[in-house]
Amino acid sequence: MKHIHPVKKYLILGAIPLMLSCSSHYMLVKSNRTDYNMNSNQPVDSAVIKTYLPYKIKMDQEMNEVIGHADVLMEKLDKKDDKPVAENLLRNFFSDALFHEALKYDPTIDFAMPSTNGGIRVALPKGDIKLSNIFEVMPFENEMMVYVLSPADVQNLLEYIAKTGGQPVAGLRMKIVNDKPTEVMINGKPLDPTKNYKILTSDYVAEGGDNVQSFKNPIEKKIMGIRMRDALITYIRENQAAGKTINPKLDGRITKD
Amino acid sequence: MEELLKINRRNFLKTGGIAAAAAALNLNAFDAIAAGDLVKLTILHTNDVHSRIEPFPMDGSKYQGLGGTARRSALIKSIRASENNVLLFDAGDIFQGTPYFNKYGGELEIKLMSEMNYDAATMGNHDFDNGLEGFHKQLPHANFPVLCSNYDFSNTLLNKSTLPYQVFKKQGIKIGVFGIGIKLAGLVGDRNYGDTVFLDPVKTANQTASLLKNELKCDLVICLSHLGYKYNTDRDSDQLLAKNTRNIDLIIGGHTHTFMDQPEDVLNLDGKITTINQVGFAGINLGRLDYYFERYKGKRIKTAAPYTISDQLDS
Repeated sequence: MKHIHPVKKYLILGAIPLMLSCSSHYMLVKSNRTDYNMNSNQPVDSAVIKTYLPYKIKMDQEMNEVIGHADVLMEKLDKKDDKPVAENLLRNFFSDALFHEALKYDPTIDFAMPSTNGGIRVALPKGDIKLSNIFEVMPFENEMMVYVLSPADVQNLLEYIAKTGGQPVAGLRMKIVNDKPTEVMINGKPLDPTKNYKILTSDYVAEGGDNVQSFKNPIEKKIMGIRMRDALITYIRENQAAGKTINPKLDGRITKD
Repeated sequence: MEELLKINRRNFLKTGGIAAAAAALNLNAFDAIAAGDLVKLTILHTNDVHSRIEPFPMDGSKYQGLGGTARRSALIKSIRASENNVLLFDAGDIFQGTPYFNKYGGELEIKLMSEMNYDAATMGNHDFDNGLEGFHKQLPHANFPVLCSNYDFSNTLLNKSTLPYQVFKKQGIKIGVFGIGIKLAGLVGDRNYGDTVFLDPVKTANQTASLLKNELKCDLVICLSHLGYKYNTDRDSDQLLAKNTRNIDLIIGGHTHTFMDQPEDVLNLDGKITTINQVGFAGINLGRLDYYFERYKGKRIKTAAPYTISDQLDS
């Protein structure tokens, strides 16, 4: 192949751009972004409604039952101006209701942290409380648990509450100073740092949910056998039956410097 | 030129290098698309829909009246009708949050996603709420793949139920998509994830993204992540993932329910852009990113030029 025939040479040269044109590639040159708010200005797809309607009808028959009445809107207000909120109405209602229900079965419980802030999912409306509201505020199948904790583990829990800027509690008061618990009162009495305490919580929190580590080595542990959602429903129904409305208050149970 | 300057001011240009070229491209976008030299890809996404089938009830709460699958579906249909190349993704936590989940176990959520033609989803922590069995049970209703690259389900019921990644082809463009999940211990009850092995998110993402971009020659690599946008601690997040990896163009995030004012563009280990986006939760918003690709002939360019970014669509 010392001499390349001119025709061959032409063919070879011609083949190169041909090959290249087969192997086209793509280069990212531009990106435009937006988002759409799914508000009432958006049209609806009736095919989708047709799909969910049979499910909805069946569900609503159960869920639209009014089980009680709230005097105030209980917002899920966990942060304000990007800072943790120490106490809110929703948490107080949630904690007080479950503490009340648990005390029926065990009056010796000292205080309650039945959930973390993240476990209380949505706001509760002012006015009629429907069964569906309770399913949304507490959608999980978690159960109430009672733990007896050593002074060290109680301290660990109090520090968790302080460090995170406040959690849902009942039967407990504290002032958070420099992210530490101070002036802790349990059931109206100052914290006794030598005493074991009996605490109402959930299986989720007790198993280390949201990185709560305080319940790993309990002195005693009891499964109450009551789902938290069921306890909330019972509490609201009982108030309704007694002619009482749900009217939680901010009482300064947790304050932050 | 005045026209170009105007566009330059309107568009937020990340880098000046190809600004003029891109602006010119912007002007001629329609012609270029018609000629087949420019391909437009539209990515739509949701995260943390949490069983929100219907809009939030009108009860005075913050998000009252917002969201709903019927609106989302109508919007997706209208976008699909006007765009050639649409992909629709979800970044996990499909389940849990309304009585629909308590009553029907997620069947309706998955059915509706199939009806909306989702192209893929990843798993969030709440998708484990009824255990591995509870998720497995709903998969026959899914006509889309579930992508999880850092959950090793080999020794579980889900061992044939998920894929680490999927490559999509749209008009010659290859899009590699993979899923990254959050650490389950401490977040999900032990019983609910069983023998699932959690693999390091950053390491796994890096390996998977490299495979997609370098070996499978994807033009765009997307990570569906349920890590969460960012934390005050050194916990794995989308921000950490973006900074500490290569080859990911877009992270569609979830978990922290973050309403981002606009997507965040982070420089990755290669000094290239990794975009993070997350659209709150409950289907209140639908996210959209349009990517424009220019066809060129010749060898694959290793050092891709930066591209222009605008937080509005071309009208």
